[in-house]
Amino acid sequence: MNTTTTYSLLFFLFVSAFSSVAAWADQQELNYRLKWLFNIGASGDIYAQANGSFTAQGLKVRVREGSPEKNAINELELGRADFGVASADQVIQALDKGAHLVVLAQIFQINPMQWIYRDDQPKINKLADLRGRKVGITFGGNDETIMRTLLTQASIKEKEVKLSGVRFDFTPFFRRKVEIWPVYRNTQGVILKEKLAQEGEGVRFFNPADFGVHFVANSIITSEKMLKEQPQVVKKFLTALLQGWKAAMNPAEENKVLAAVKKMNKNTEDGIMKKQLAITRELVWPASGTIGAINEVAWKQTEAIMLRQGRIKQAVHVEKYLRQQYAQCELTDEPSGTGVLK
Amino acid sequence: MLVRRTYQFLIVYCIGLASLLGLKYALSLSDYVIPSIPLILETAGQVFSDYLRAAFSTLSVTVLGQIISIILAFSVGIAGRKSSWLGSFIRATAYNIQAYPIVALAPIIFILLGDGFLSRLLIASIICYFPLLLSVLGVMAAPVQEIEHFYQATGRMSWQLEVKIRAFENLSKLTTVISGSATLAMAGTIVAEFIAANAGIGYSIRTALYQSDLAKIFVALFLIGIIISLYQGLLENIGQWIIQKKLG
Amino acid sequence: MQIISNNLSFQYPDSDTKVINSLSFSMHGPGFNAVFGPSGVGKTSLARIIAGSITDQEGDMYTKGITTILYSYNMERLPGWSSIGTLLQQVTPPGREALLEELIELFALQNVMDSPFTRISLGQQNRSNLLRYLVQDFDLLIMDESLANVDEKLRQTILLHIKERFPDRMFLSISHNLMEVATFCKEILVLGTREKSGKGCILQGLDLQQDAVLDKDRLDQSMLEVMNAC
Repeated sequence: MNTTTTYSLLFFLFVSAFSSVAAWADQQELNYRLKWLFNIGASGDIYAQANGSFTAQGLKVRVREGSPEKNAINELELGRADFGVASADQVIQALDKGAHLVVLAQIFQINPMQWIYRDDQPKINKLADLRGRKVGITFGGNDETIMRTLLTQASIKEKEVKLSGVRFDFTPFFRRKVEIWPVYRNTQGVILKEKLAQEGEGVRFFNPADFGVHFVANSIITSEKMLKEQPQVVKKFLTALLQGWKAAMNPAEENKVLAAVKKMNKNTEDGIMKKQLAITRELVWPASGTIGAINEVAWKQTEAIMLRQGRIKQAVHVEKYLRQQYAQCELTDEPSGTGVLK
Repeated sequence: MLVRRTYQFLIVYCIGLASLLGLKYALSLSDYVIPSIPLILETAGQVFSDYLRAAFSTLSVTVLGQIISIILAFSVGIAGRKSSWLGSFIRATAYNIQAYPIVALAPIIFILLGDGFLSRLLIASIICYFPLLLSVLGVMAAPVQEIEHFYQATGRMSWQLEVKIRAFENLSKLTTVISGSATLAMAGTIVAEFIAANAGIGYSIRTALYQSDLAKIFVALFLIGIIISLYQGLLENIGQWIIQKKLG
Repeated sequence: MQIISNNLSFQYPDSDTKVINSLSFSMHGPGFNAVFGPSGVGKTSLARIIAGSITDQEGDMYTKGITTILYSYNMERLPGWSSIGTLLQQVTPPGREALLEELIELFALQNVMDSPFTRISLGQQNRSNLLRYLVQDFDLLIMDESLANVDEKLRQTILLHIKERFPDRMFLSISHNLMEVATFCKEILVLGTREKSGKGCILQGLDLQQDAVLDKDRLDQSMLEVMNAC
């Protein structure tokens, strides 16, 4: 090795090391708090991390699991998170209590909160068919709000249905003690459907949206302060996140997405997870929808429902806090949903 | 004892609340994260009677659960007091089961008994039972030689007399353990209600948590604190009365 | 009645040294005998071996003409849930109620019969404890400091009365009170210090009886013998 070659090699190593350090130093560190545990419902969030969407935007994002106790809105206010996932009712309630939030995008275009029932039971063609049925609800949960709205809409009095409190344990449904059971369509719904299929039983899903009740589910939020002080960071984050979601919902990327989710959640079987992803596509990017798009009408309806049920004291005019323009990025491709929900 | 416990709780509650409010105003947090005093009072006005009923429902399960666990702990403790194989087996089993977090056992209990009264009662009893059992075993397995010697030497010792001697000699320890176990029983009931039940203050907390309504949780915590203070104070008073009456 | 020890040795499991080392003696009853010696020479251990509550000793320890042995000691307590009177009545065998009453009076315990055990003095506690043993069936009663904290005069009254009232029984008093041992006991087993252990010797005491006059010279001589034997 002559002297020139040695110097060239040293120069190359120095430049490479310097650029790596510089790139690392350029990356902005952000915390992103999910609403729930790592599962297929967060596949876009997980995949944005796994496929390097955040890094490509110069961001170093820590995606963290959520739970009822680990609430994204609290974390935003306490400065522990920069972005988060919250359901519409959480957002509206927080706004009612003086929180300074904005909604950047809506992940689920169709609320995954639905009800499952066996196909040997009378089909629910109209809301009046709920009369006299044993319906499960999580007292205090979104499903309670949605079901009460549906009952009000159909002029069904509470004593005309048998509302039963449900928990994580599906035994009452398996034993037919509760007929219509609330599930997240893309996660528990798939598992229950599979289990019952093994017993030779078929199921149907009851989707409130089919009866005109559009209660918005998970959306991406940040603080007003963040949006005001670092709009470029917000834009970069959202671009990266929606790219992650778009890629995750692309059937061509399915194996990579499943591998990324599996890395974070080892408990779900591969076959189930694959089916869960297919359903998630329909909910996040349906044929008639746009990924990340904020459905203002649905948000207003959600607020109206909450106001009517006394979950908020006064109108918050949630439309003022929706920042639709930030989600307008690379959304020109065809939706990935193939209509399997129908 | 009753009054002292109550005002001690009120002091702790007020300090906790004041700290949270300090944090709220220092960090300019919204009412969603930490509710203001007017919001807490307004919420209390709305839910107090319901929550009070729920808290009494929890208390009734707690009392029943505690009674069951006391009876069980004494029965098993008495049966296993001899340093025989059975005694050491019971002790080892109690230690092992106590090591299991109840949230891990709860799903099995709910599958077997459903999410009603029995599950709450069983979980309250389980949480309260094992610490009680270990204390009772400790008391019952330790001979009071200076009293028992005469009865053994003269052939008058029976298992009933042995239990009576050991229980009487450790009366203050047992009453302290029993009154202390009230907190465990209450915690057990609340955990059961939180995980799966359709009634009780733990259930109310869970519902409030679903709604991210910390004001309701503050009201619930206040009621839990007051009720457990009163209950524990009452048990301590009963214990003191028994000790005074028996020990002089 | 006879207690016989032949080459008796005993060592506590957690100790390096033998508390009793090759002890041989023979003691006769009925009557009031004693074991005497400084602290730590194994008096209580010997008493427990005789009573049968220690069984892992080496050598021989046996009795002749003695069926029931009771061992009482001064740390014993009566349960606290009833008055002393009730507890004493409960443990008095049928037919011995008169003896109980007699001893209550002799032991000067009439005034504390309604009191719980914890409310009376140490001397009263020891007397009530000894009393309940005396109403039991026994051939040999070992009294390990059973009259501790009792004043001299009352001790004397009690000891003399016991000797008179139970002439066919054997008593073995374990005491540090040299004068008491020398005055009231018939045979005294003196346990020496460790260096002298194994050489426990039986000495004769004055064996003073009710209404008898104490010979002070003999007492001095007896006390001197006991002291020299230790």
